[in-house]
Amino acid sequence: MSVFIRRLFSPLLGVLLSALSAVSHAEPLKIGYSDWPGWVAWEVGIEKGWFEEAGVDVQFEWFDYVASMDAFAAGKLDAVAMTNGDTLVTGATGGKGVMFLINDYSNGNDMVIAKPGIGSVKELKGKKIGVEIGFVSHLLLLEALKQNGMSEADVELVNVPTNETPQVLASGQVDAIVAWQPNSGAALNLVPGSKAVFTSADQPGLIYDVLAVTPESLANRRGEWLKVMKVWYRIVDYMKDPKTFDDAVKIMASRVGVPAEEYKTFISGTKILTLDEAKALMGKAEGYGSLYGSSKISDDFNVANKVYDKPQDIDAYIDLSLMKEM
Amino acid sequence: MQWFAARKQLSSRPRLILAIMSFVLPILTWSLVSYVPWLWHPKVEITEPGDVSYFKDGLLVDKDVFVNEAARVSEAGGAMPEGRPANPIYLPAPHEVVTAFYTAFTTEPKRRNEKWLHESLWSSIQVIFWGFLISSVFGVPLGILAGTYDFFSRLTEPFVEFFRYLPAPAFGALAVAILGIYQAPKIAIIFIGTFFQQVLIIANTTRKLDPSLLEAAQTLGAKNHALLFRVVVPGILPDLYKDMRILLGWAWTYLIVAELIGTSSGITWFITQQARYKNFDNVFAAIMMIGIIGLTIDMLLARLGRNLFPWQRAGARA
Repeated sequence: MSVFIRRLFSPLLGVLLSALSAVSHAEPLKIGYSDWPGWVAWEVGIEKGWFEEAGVDVQFEWFDYVASMDAFAAGKLDAVAMTNGDTLVTGATGGKGVMFLINDYSNGNDMVIAKPGIGSVKELKGKKIGVEIGFVSHLLLLEALKQNGMSEADVELVNVPTNETPQVLASGQVDAIVAWQPNSGAALNLVPGSKAVFTSADQPGLIYDVLAVTPESLANRRGEWLKVMKVWYRIVDYMKDPKTFDDAVKIMASRVGVPAEEYKTFISGTKILTLDEAKALMGKAEGYGSLYGSSKISDDFNVANKVYDKPQDIDAYIDLSLMKEM
Repeated sequence: MQWFAARKQLSSRPRLILAIMSFVLPILTWSLVSYVPWLWHPKVEITEPGDVSYFKDGLLVDKDVFVNEAARVSEAGGAMPEGRPANPIYLPAPHEVVTAFYTAFTTEPKRRNEKWLHESLWSSIQVIFWGFLISSVFGVPLGILAGTYDFFSRLTEPFVEFFRYLPAPAFGALAVAILGIYQAPKIAIIFIGTFFQQVLIIANTTRKLDPSLLEAAQTLGAKNHALLFRVVVPGILPDLYKDMRILLGWAWTYLIVAELIGTSSGITWFITQQARYKNFDNVFAAIMMIGIIGLTIDMLLARLGRNLFPWQRAGARA
């Protein structure tokens, strides 16, 4: 019985103890991450014990994506894995984050999927499209329409949470949906004959996935973040090496709870960036080939869709100086 | 023997049989829909793709899609696709769920920081326990006071009545901001979801106490304090206990929304993650686990209740 009681009380004790220890020495770097291949990759470093080897005290916390941004905005995390567009949204609404590490860009995982019989974006004219309005899939849709000489006015948008897009496409009440993995893959499986008419591979750099850190943590604990970055590129090397790729996939697949073979398909739609590839995106330029340019496009989109009111100062959201030190 | 007699209890054997039937009937329905090919089965699972370009072994397609494609292939004189009737992926068959139930518990954690399923379940049970306990510590006394004294009733109930309509999950972000990202905000959501209902239900139960008991006690000279602790509280105890059992079930229904807040944890992590990857056999298995835990706890409490309040026949019934 006493063991039972002690175990019931242990979470409270834990909170008390951690509160006490916070006074005595520095807390670990708290990093929130969620279910996206470019972020699940962190798991390799955690599992292998590379952070301990690098001598940096980190604590990765697994969240639902939206919950992770909420926790960051509430000041409960030092850093969080987000897209560049969502970093601006989170920043504009209260939780300022600085993008200092680029993990990957979506390279096909985000898709516009049309029901059977529709083979191209042009055929979507006048049709109903299920999309989570104001979020990154909406941005992808606008780009797809633009590249095909259309605009939002040419289609009818139906606001659908991304998680539910597979069922919504299967219901037949919309003609297309926009979703990212694993929802996009689920939709393709669920509706045989459906087709991805536009994907993020058609416009690389539309969505960058980054690690965003609070400005004060980056300023005060710069050395530790550099170590975190070094571990990241160790992970990237491990994933890029054909000899160790399978082991990396195994660890990642177990994090999200799917068989390794199935998980490989999700990784292929994500372009994990090597240091050299990432450095090529660091210049201040317009367009998708630069983190600055891509973020500017996101900013315009967010303002146009009233996600927030005032354009953000992009430069204040990006600090790639640590990457330059690598 | 008469099966239908108004407000008469059946003898113990038929009662047991009926209780078992209450489980057998839904399971039987589920089995029929799953295993009898001409019942429902709106999909076709492809076993042989034939000459249809996008058919793959194991793919689920709508029945009419299959019929159309087969007709098209047959017109063109190609290899015919084959398939068998199947249900949508959202409704796994009973044996699939049973298998998933077993493997979920026996699957070893593959990573160092991964948990066994029973550890996740334990974490969920702790959230419920603390949420319900904290809610009861405040809710029960307040409910009894409000049910006994009009003063407390007027002072609390109008606001409680208002607040109980507010959706508990909407306080998630605030709970995280104040209480952090671990168990505390989740416990807070269970608290918000339970407390306000608890006050009202217990106040009502208290009000239903037979007024003649109070009058008799007053005639014998009982004062406020004695009325409350010697008459009201003992008088409502069996009903209060029943209320608490119902409220505990209520608290469980808030578990999923509570655990979505902050770090992903507990059984909810398992359910949402498996649902995201469309492994509905696992999802159903996890839903069953919650049902089984809930029912077991309730049966234990019912048994305990029979021992605590032997004089209450109605209260003793499980």
